[in-house]
Amino acid sequence: MKKIMITLLSGLGLLIAAPATAMADVDIFACEPEWGALAKEVGGDHASVTTATTAFQDVHHIRAKPSLLAAMRKADLIMCSGAALESGWLPVLVQKAGGPDVQPNTVGWLMASDHVQKLEVMEQADRSMGHVHPEGNPHVHLNPEYIVQLADFVADRLYQIDPDNAEAYTVNLNDFKERWNAKLAQWKAQAAGLAGMNVIVRHKNWSYLSDWAGINVVASLEPKPGLPPTSSHLESLLQSVKNKKVSAILVAPFENDDAAQWLSGKTGIPILPLPYTVGGSDRAKTQEGMFDETFEMLGKADS
Amino acid sequence: MSYKLLLAASAVAILGASPAMAADDADLGALRAEIAAMREAYESKIEALENKVHSLEARQESTAEKVAKVQPSAGASVPATSTRQVNDNSFNPEIGVILQGNYQSFSEDESEFGGFAVGEEAERGKEGLGIDETELNFSASIDDKFRGAATVALHEHGGETEVEIEEAYVATNALPYGMEVKAGRFFSELGYLNSHHSHADDFADRPLPNRAFLDSNYGDDGVQLSAVLPTEIYSEVGGGVFRGDDFPGGGADGADIGSWTAYGRIGDDIGDKTSWRLGVSTLQVEGGERSANEDMVIFDGDSGLYIADARFVYAPTGNNAEQEVTLQGEYFFRDENGAYDDMDAGTGPVAYDDHQSGWYAQGVYKFHPQWRVGARYSQLYAGDVPAGLVGSALDSEGHDPWAASAMVDWTNSEFSRVRAQVNREELANGQQDDQFILQYVMSLGAHGAHAY
Repeated sequence: MKKIMITLLSGLGLLIAAPATAMADVDIFACEPEWGALAKEVGGDHASVTTATTAFQDVHHIRAKPSLLAAMRKADLIMCSGAALESGWLPVLVQKAGGPDVQPNTVGWLMASDHVQKLEVMEQADRSMGHVHPEGNPHVHLNPEYIVQLADFVADRLYQIDPDNAEAYTVNLNDFKERWNAKLAQWKAQAAGLAGMNVIVRHKNWSYLSDWAGINVVASLEPKPGLPPTSSHLESLLQSVKNKKVSAILVAPFENDDAAQWLSGKTGIPILPLPYTVGGSDRAKTQEGMFDETFEMLGKADS
Repeated sequence: MSYKLLLAASAVAILGASPAMAADDADLGALRAEIAAMREAYESKIEALENKVHSLEARQESTAEKVAKVQPSAGASVPATSTRQVNDNSFNPEIGVILQGNYQSFSEDESEFGGFAVGEEAERGKEGLGIDETELNFSASIDDKFRGAATVALHEHGGETEVEIEEAYVATNALPYGMEVKAGRFFSELGYLNSHHSHADDFADRPLPNRAFLDSNYGDDGVQLSAVLPTEIYSEVGGGVFRGDDFPGGGADGADIGSWTAYGRIGDDIGDKTSWRLGVSTLQVEGGERSANEDMVIFDGDSGLYIADARFVYAPTGNNAEQEVTLQGEYFFRDENGAYDDMDAGTGPVAYDDHQSGWYAQGVYKFHPQWRVGARYSQLYAGDVPAGLVGSALDSEGHDPWAASAMVDWTNSEFSRVRAQVNREELANGQQDDQFILQYVMSLGAHGAHAY
C-alpha cells in the first residue's frame, strides 16, 4: 500500500511540477466582471486579470472552488465590491492562498464600496430582515460616475505595486477617463429622460443605477433581501402596484425570472432583462457597452 | 509586578513609623528615593496610557469621518480606510451558535459494526427527539498575522452532557508562498469530509467509513503546514504532526509524536459550470493504544490510513445558487500491525497484521434554490480475522457492513435548513436497520465562509 501511495504522490508531483506560464507584471484577482473589466482598462498589457465570477452567477453564493484558490495564490491585487457581498467565499480564499500583500488593509486589497458613498447603510440589522448588508448596499458598480472614480484607485494601487510601469498605467488611466467622461455626458442626457420612471426589481441590486438616474424602485419581488419570492408576497405586490404606472420589471442575467413572469402576466408590465454587468449580454462586452445597452433599454421601456 | 511593589511600598510608607524607626536614616532615604522613582514610573505609564486612549479615539473619529465622506481623489487612497465598519463586530470575536436537533427512529434495537471496533462518535444517534449537538463558534483575527478559532460542542451521550473542545487553533494569515501554519486542536485535512463540521454536511449522519475509521472526525492536538503551490491549476500539499490521542490514536503520553498526516490535492474548472477536486491523504498512528467499543476493545500498535477523495460540482445554468449537482466519494484503506484485545469476548491480546477498507459515494441535486435531494451508499470491508479473534468484535462473520441513504432538505436561507433522511443500515449479520431522521440545522450570529 505504501508503494501505491508513493506512486500516487509522485504522479501528483509530476502533474503539478509543470511550471506556470509566462507572467504579467501584476496579477489581479477580480471578484466580479465589472471590476475585472476596470482592472484590465487601467492595467492594460501589464496586468493579468482573473475574474472569479460571471454575469450568470449570483455573487452572494459562490463556492471557494479550487480554481479560485489557484488564482488567489498568484494575486498581487484583489478588487471586489466589498461591504460583505463576498463574505461567503472571499475570506476562505484569502486565508488559504492569499499572500501577505493582499490581506485586508494592505495595498493589494481594494474594495470598491470602501471608496464610494454607499446607499442603504443601516444603523441596525437583524437576520430576520433577510440577507441585508449593514455596511450598506454593496452593488455599487451601477453608478457610472463611481466607475471613473474607482479607476483612480486602481491606478493608485498599481503605481504602488508595480512602479516600473507607472507611466503605462497613467496613459491607460487617462485614455479610459477621457472615453468614460464623454460617455458620461451621453448617459446623463439619457438618464434625464428616465427621471420619475417606476420600476420593480427582484433584488435590491439596482439601487445605485436607480439613484443615479432618478428612477423609482416601487417594489422588490423578494419579500426580504435574499429570500426567494413567495406567492403571498407576490399577491400583495400585485394589489399595491395595480394603480401605479410601472414601466418595467428589471431582471439580471443570473436571476430566476419565474416570479417576474408571473407578475408580468398578471399586470402586463414588461420584463426588462438588463445586462447588469460585463458579459451579461452580447453587447455588454465592455463596461461602456453595458451602460449603453442599459440606458437604451430603459429609455425604450419608459416611452 | 511594579504595581505590587508600589502598593507594598506605599503601605510601608503609610504605616510609616514603626518599621522605619528600626531602619537608620540612610535606609530611609534610599527607600524614599525608590518610592519616588516608582511613583514617577507609574505616573508616566498612566500618562502613556491616557495618550494612547486619546489617539485611539482621535483615530476612530477620523476614520468615521473619512468613511462618511466620499474620498475625493485617489491621492489619499491609504488602505486604512478599507476597515470593515460594522460587520460581525470587527474588534470582538465573531460568535456563532449552531443548533442541530433531530427526531430519529430505528427499526432495530441493536446497531453494531460487524468486524470493526469503533469509537463512540461512530454509533448511530439517540432514538426519539433530541438536540443532537450544539456548537459554539468563536473566531477572529488576532492581529495582522494570526487568526484564531474555537469550537466547543455540547452533546449528550447516555444521558450525560459532554462538553468537547472540537477545535481550538491559531493559524497564520499572511505567510508568503501560499503557506499556512495551523496549531492547536483542529480537524485535520484528510480526505474530503474530515476537515468539515457536521453542520455543513449534506446528510444527517456521516458515511460509514468516516464513522468507522475516523470516529466521524479526526481532530487532534498538533501543528499542520500547508502550501497552495504556484501552479496553473490548483494544487496543494500539506501535512502535520500530532499528539496521537484522538481516534484512531489513543493513550498518548510522554513527549512522543503519536501520529502524522500528509496530503496532496489538485483541482480546477471545466468551463464555467463545473469544478472538481481530487486528493490523496494519509494518517499514520505509531504505537497508539486505542480503545473502542465502549472501552471493551483495545488495539495496541501501528495504524496507517490511506484515503483518496474526489468531488465534482456542476451548475446546469452556471449559477450555483439556482441549481447544482454535487458528486462526492472517498475511498479508505487501513493497514494495521499490532494486537487486538476484545475483553467482552475474552480473547486476550491477539497479534493482528491485516487491512480493512471502505468507501462511500454520494450525489446531491439542488433542483430549486431552496430544495435538494440526495442519495448515498457506503460500504465497509472487514477483511480477514486471525484465528484468535474469531467470535470477537473484529469477526464480521462474513458480512461486510453497508448502508444506503436518501435525503431531501429545504434551505430557507443560508442560516437555516430542515432535512428528512431515510437510511437502510446492514452493519452486521441479521441486522437490518431501517432508520428515519428528521433534522434541523440552524446558525445564530456570525457564520464564517465555507470551504469548497
